[in-house]
Amino acid sequence: MNDALIMLNGLAIGYGGQPVLAGISLTIARASFTAILGANGSGKSTLLKTLLGLQPPLAGQIKITGAPVFGYVPQTLQFDSLYPLTGFNVALMGTYGRIGIARRVPAAERTFTQECLHATAANEFAHQRFSELSGGQKQRILIARALAAKPDVLVLDEPTAGVDAAATHALLEFISQIHQDRQLTVLLVTHDLPLVRKHAQQVIWLHEGQIYQGQAAELLTPARMAEIFEMELS
Amino acid sequence: METLRQILAPDFLLRNSVYTSVLIGFACPLVGVFLVLRRLVFMGVALPQISSTGIVLTLTAPAWFGFHVAGGHGLAFAGALVFSLGAILVLALLERRGHGLPEGRLGSAYVVAAALSILLLSQNRYAELGWLDLLKGEVIAISNFDLGLTAGMLAVVLVVLGLFHKELLLVSFDRTMAITLGKRVLIWDGLLYMLIGLTVSLAVLSVGPLIAFGFLLIPALTAHRFARNIRQFMVFASLIGGTAAFGGFWLAYQWDLPVGPTDVVLLGVVATVAWPLGKLFSKGSNGKRSS
Repeated sequence: MNDALIMLNGLAIGYGGQPVLAGISLTIARASFTAILGANGSGKSTLLKTLLGLQPPLAGQIKITGAPVFGYVPQTLQFDSLYPLTGFNVALMGTYGRIGIARRVPAAERTFTQECLHATAANEFAHQRFSELSGGQKQRILIARALAAKPDVLVLDEPTAGVDAAATHALLEFISQIHQDRQLTVLLVTHDLPLVRKHAQQVIWLHEGQIYQGQAAELLTPARMAEIFEMELS
Repeated sequence: METLRQILAPDFLLRNSVYTSVLIGFACPLVGVFLVLRRLVFMGVALPQISSTGIVLTLTAPAWFGFHVAGGHGLAFAGALVFSLGAILVLALLERRGHGLPEGRLGSAYVVAAALSILLLSQNRYAELGWLDLLKGEVIAISNFDLGLTAGMLAVVLVVLGLFHKELLLVSFDRTMAITLGKRVLIWDGLLYMLIGLTVSLAVLSVGPLIAFGFLLIPALTAHRFARNIRQFMVFASLIGGTAAFGGFWLAYQWDLPVGPTDVVLLGVVATVAWPLGKLFSKGSNGKRSS
């Protein structure tokens, strides 16, 4: 595939030498919207962390074309409420990758961060303490932070966890929009099948140690899904 | 007021002690802020005690071989620094790997270090010559060299935190994000730990472990109630520490009390008074936001 951005070849991932998933060979295309699906403990977040270089693979290769900038949107629950940071302070961190060590954040980067907050409709509450925001508001701040990094790849780890239905819908609509407008590669980890059906082009489904990859329209048909689950039953 | 005039007079006999106390009062809370934010409060307890064990060990060791080291401040500083840095690196590494119970490790390190200090002192006939005063926090005999060293330490803390504020904050707040942005988190962690180790070592050497612990944590915990951002957090904590150090010295001189414990009790009073004020402040700022 000419527009392949990330290629995994015989990858094994896990912790402490114990593989969670092995034999992963798949390709993620540039400017694609890929959803990573699977039950709790299936290895979704481990796969994401390995792709981001947060933990080394146990075996196999990861080939990334060029040096893409990753905009990472983690789960909101991981942040410590002790930090007296506003939403703007958090979003501004996205620019730190471009600013030299020991350099102050230039005014232009502050303005750009404001634009990112505006784009995610987070400017209204960006002056409030991050720890006091709702789940949906935090997600918008974190997406603004990821955009402030000027990413080539937007990586979202269960961005709708703890977010109500209306906010979930609005968030995914927004992510789809920026995916189209900016030609971003999107990697989305989620449990939410209806959302994946609506927004994702490609699906990586982790199920009982097996990996299924395909177009969302093909893999998420009732017949194909029944086939996967019947395999498990048999 | 007469006491205050005496303390502020340029020829005041204990002026080095005043200046050193105040400098430590300003410096310790600056690194204490990161101990609080990283939820390493117990490390703030254990580290000064381990550092003081380093001092006692380096001062005692020569006696085992029949030498008596007079003064020995340089040696003591080296012992404090090596023990502080070694302990903080080992404890932080264990914390990062998530093995065992962190509170249990730090509590054990604290009590073993305290007991070891007492044992070593009890076996050394020179121990009474000022060392016990040093470990109790009697800030009396501070030389010009020690004062200069403390001022240098404050300068280093200010410069490092001023220059690398955004990197240290990012690595502390969101390590994962820092890695995806290409930051070398181990180097930044190492720098922060070295800064904490240096500050703790000098503070313990000058004012003892009890006072070092007090200045590391109480001003930061008090300031946290009022700070709206990290900059305010650090400035408020440092101001509380510096002011309490001066106020504590003033009260101790006025009523002939030991300086270090007076400082810590004063910090405790400030924290107690700040508690209800912090609640009011928090309600007020929430009301302002929602209106």
